[in-house]
Amino acid sequence: MTSPAEADTEVVQARRPQPRRGVSLRDAGPPIALVVVFGVFAALSPGFRTLSNVQNVLDAAAVLAVVTIGISFVLMMGSIDLSAPGIMGASAITVALLVANNRNDNDLGFVGIAVAVLLAAGLGCLSGLALVLLKVPSFMATLGVSAVGLGLATLLFAGVQPNIADPMLEGWAVERFLGLAHLTWIALGCVLLGWLVQRYSRLGRYAFAIGGAEEVLALSGVRVAPYKVAVFTLAGAFYGLAGVMVTSQLSAGLVQAGRGYDFSAITAAVVGGTLLTGGRGGILHSTVGVLLVTVLTNGLVQVGVSPYWQGGVQGLIVVAAVAAAVIPQRRRNQVTK
Amino acid sequence: MSTPVLAQPASDAPVVARPTVGQRLTSFMPVIALVVLLAALTVVDPGFFTLSSLTAAVRTAAPLVVLAAGATVVVLCGGIDLSIAALCSLATVFFALWLPDLGGLTTLAIVAVAGAIGALQGVAHVLLRIPSFIVTLGGMSIFSAIALVISDAGPIPVSDRGTTHWLTLYVAGVLPMAFVVALVVVAVVSLVLRLTPVGSWVRAIGYSESAARLAGSPVDLVKVGAFTLSGACAGLAAVMLVSRNFSGSPTMADNLLLPAVAAIVVGGTAITGGHGSLWRSLAGALVVTLLRVGLPIVGVPSAYEQILYGAIIVAAVALTLDRSKVLIIK
Repeated sequence: MTSPAEADTEVVQARRPQPRRGVSLRDAGPPIALVVVFGVFAALSPGFRTLSNVQNVLDAAAVLAVVTIGISFVLMMGSIDLSAPGIMGASAITVALLVANNRNDNDLGFVGIAVAVLLAAGLGCLSGLALVLLKVPSFMATLGVSAVGLGLATLLFAGVQPNIADPMLEGWAVERFLGLAHLTWIALGCVLLGWLVQRYSRLGRYAFAIGGAEEVLALSGVRVAPYKVAVFTLAGAFYGLAGVMVTSQLSAGLVQAGRGYDFSAITAAVVGGTLLTGGRGGILHSTVGVLLVTVLTNGLVQVGVSPYWQGGVQGLIVVAAVAAAVIPQRRRNQVTK
Repeated sequence: MSTPVLAQPASDAPVVARPTVGQRLTSFMPVIALVVLLAALTVVDPGFFTLSSLTAAVRTAAPLVVLAAGATVVVLCGGIDLSIAALCSLATVFFALWLPDLGGLTTLAIVAVAGAIGALQGVAHVLLRIPSFIVTLGGMSIFSAIALVISDAGPIPVSDRGTTHWLTLYVAGVLPMAFVVALVVVAVVSLVLRLTPVGSWVRAIGYSESAARLAGSPVDLVKVGAFTLSGACAGLAAVMLVSRNFSGSPTMADNLLLPAVAAIVVGGTAITGGHGSLWRSLAGALVVTLLRVGLPIVGVPSAYEQILYGAIIVAAVALTLDRSKVLIIK
């Protein structure tokens, strides 16, 4: 009687740490890479290791971080989201037309920002609905929504660029608190919010579970569809905020505000360990990925590499990061799409 | 019905019959869409349905048709190729740079090199087991970077127009040579897929890769071949673009990526793989081009054009996707 009981407890004790150790080892990769890359650039370039440059890196990472948090929730579900350029463009123009600007007499201030974010959330919701109701794969649904968003933005743009005159929104990009621009603090707030949602809310937990095993979740009685729509809506809201942030940086609403952010955000998320297969990574992983990408971009310029190479280096890194992540399961994982 | 013993065929028949009616309709959907679109454009603007504007439309469509045709094979295998447009831009730069040295051989060299670059991506996808989305996403950034660096981020004029002159000719006075070449590419690849086992391999990989592997299909080889073809088509499209623009530029084809993907999907090729064909992509590319060229002609503002374009992509997928093959839509 005693020996099987002992054996049982032993098995339980022996099992528990194993997955944790595996997870922590795999999760440690991107932060270690970040520290190494940072160290290498700091050693190579005197301009890189200044405090003001570290502030620059953090400020430069702000918009990408907010977009990446949004896309991370979608990637955690195993879906993909290419709607960032369209949604950001629509929200950038909307906010520029609603706060004090040179096109009309609106001066809604904070309400204008909220409306822009709501519009963006609505567009995100549209992707989710197309996915759930029409059963269109997220790749195409979000591509379509991106085109709709760009169309809306062009419609509102109407040929005259809206320059903003709202002191608060303009101040976000310029004024500093503890050495960092207000936009950077907003991005940090978003990281915290995203992490809390991912960790403690049902939405975040289910997003993870949908990516891990949607069938199992559905079979255990969870209505998956509303949560999918909610995740796309949340992602849309984050893109909307990012569009507002770009408007603040440029002091003008542009249709192309979100250009290229879709693929940069996917790159950052994947480099950080939020894989496209779903159920892996998370907000903090993606944030590390954003920092890694931004440090590389900044560091390469500081070392004197032509800025034209930046995209190429990012491309190499994302391929290498995924290749490294897949190596442990090479034998098992026969199907790669 | 009178013989209850034969329960199996009786229950089978309606199951098979019902989808075929729907499938017949959906399989002609791209052509129907094309005809409806042409009719609508003609009704709104009778001046549209003339020989000269149709000729101009198919001439514009040629590079898109070639790009979409190559990428269709990758999509049929269940993958995606996001690098076609960037590779095409890079190839235009190569063309402009190599033309003075290689002369008449440049076209062949460009197609070969672009094919080799595509093969490289295929090998990375197969050997390192990286999803094609990531490989070609990385490829897209890398090719753009190389193109920017070697061209110094500006267009390179092509002064020797003799090499690409043949692409600007017209067959029988009306059909642009570039479009004929695009048709030949579609026809040859379709024939190869139909007449050789490659077609069944591609379809099998698209429907179920693990089953294809277990059945002994050369999965890895076919996938590398698909990416090679996709790259070579990007090279050919680059030559077409150079013949029209008389220059090579690092961003020349970048805005063709989403239209090419849209052409494949609007044509009814399932983005999940297996189901579809190159002819569908041809029809899809023509629909996309007509939308782009036709809507401004009949006076639709470009903003609504974008919105319509997005809605049509989503509607096309909703109509053409074969949901019985895909249980979970991601």
